[in-house]
Amino acid sequence: MSEEQQVYSVSDFQAVCNQILETAFAGVVVEGEVASFKVNQGKFVFFDLKDEQASVGCFMMKYALRFPLEDGMRVRVRALPKLTNWGKFSLTVQSVMPVGEGNLKKSFELLKKKLTAEGLFAPEKKRSLPPVVRRIGVISSTQAAGYADFCKILNERWGGLEVSVAHTQVQGMAAADQIIRALKYFNERGEMDVIAIIRGGGSADDLAVFNDEKLVRAVAASKIPVITGIGHEVDESLCDFAADVVASTPSNAAQMLTRDKREVLRQAKDSIVRVQNLFNSKIDEMLRENLRVIEQVKLDVVVKITTLESEIDGICKVLTQLNPEEVLKRGYALILGEPKVGNVVKITTRDKEIDARVEKIKER
Amino acid sequence: MSKQISDKIEELKTGVDWFYSDDFKLEQASEKYKELTTLAKEIQKDLTEMKNEINVIAEDFSKD
Repeated sequence: MSEEQQVYSVSDFQAVCNQILETAFAGVVVEGEVASFKVNQGKFVFFDLKDEQASVGCFMMKYALRFPLEDGMRVRVRALPKLTNWGKFSLTVQSVMPVGEGNLKKSFELLKKKLTAEGLFAPEKKRSLPPVVRRIGVISSTQAAGYADFCKILNERWGGLEVSVAHTQVQGMAAADQIIRALKYFNERGEMDVIAIIRGGGSADDLAVFNDEKLVRAVAASKIPVITGIGHEVDESLCDFAADVVASTPSNAAQMLTRDKREVLRQAKDSIVRVQNLFNSKIDEMLRENLRVIEQVKLDVVVKITTLESEIDGICKVLTQLNPEEVLKRGYALILGEPKVGNVVKITTRDKEIDARVEKIKER
Repeated sequence: MSKQISDKIEELKTGVDWFYSDDFKLEQASEKYKELTTLAKEIQKDLTEMKNEINVIAEDFSKD
């Protein structure tokens, strides 16, 4: 052994190894299959990560486990390699995420069952969107196509909105924590009417972040109503279940948050036309009513005149009958003067006037 | 402070409803109709001119 060669104590050697490992593999990501998964004392998670040729032990704290794991699942871990005090090499896992559609689906179902049992997705917890949305807090990647679609539809449909965008990753292992921080940011300020979590379509792996337990809980706990527009129509995430309102796509989220100004304009124009028509028809109606009243008055006057004419006619007939000349025409005579013997009385007949002296009077 | 577009839309709706209500009076209708057409034009102008204000927050969410 050379004199110059450095001699380490075991502890120093282990510390130097860890330093080298930390420098060489700061936050290394390793993919493999889970084996011998177990949780000790409810806090400490142990499992092996293996492939066909090798296996490495993994350790993590249970609170950092945000996707349910089972033996046989393929996962991707972000970890720090470490040589333990007992000389055993292991990975201290910072985050773990299932990969592959089957594993993601299994993890999704396990977590969905757990959170449903807790009542996290209960329909009675859902809040409606405010009737008028003016301020929107958007959580998305500003480089994502889904974000561009969301803004495009928003601008096409409505104006005057205040949109604050929290730029975060929307896929990968770091995304969940970034989205959680953005949710916290908006909730602490309390200025937004609604928070929209936006992400366009992608593979099951790309969208897996939206099934992160901590993120799902943060969405459910948001004081501000949350709408999700994640993936395509067919995609569903646990964040969707936890959100107050679910849109099928980013574009659909923009549609649900805004009225269509073209529709509003059309309705405003229709309203004016309807009012104009109504106004005209009310005037016509009143004119018709006035004409009807005038016609009725005319009719009443005619009836009144006819009735009066008829009455006058009757009176004339009576008067005619009462006319003494008419009596004379029937052969009667009118005698004027005092009927006393020797007096001269005037006798009027139909065609003669006679002066006659009374000669005799006899009681009947 | 100028009225919000949503307030104007609500006002237009209320104005239209008046024409269908028992409060309708022919003497007031012409004036009301003029008001509503002015309001509808204002709404059209507002909707055409209104732009959304989209700001990306400077905060770095990748850090704790």
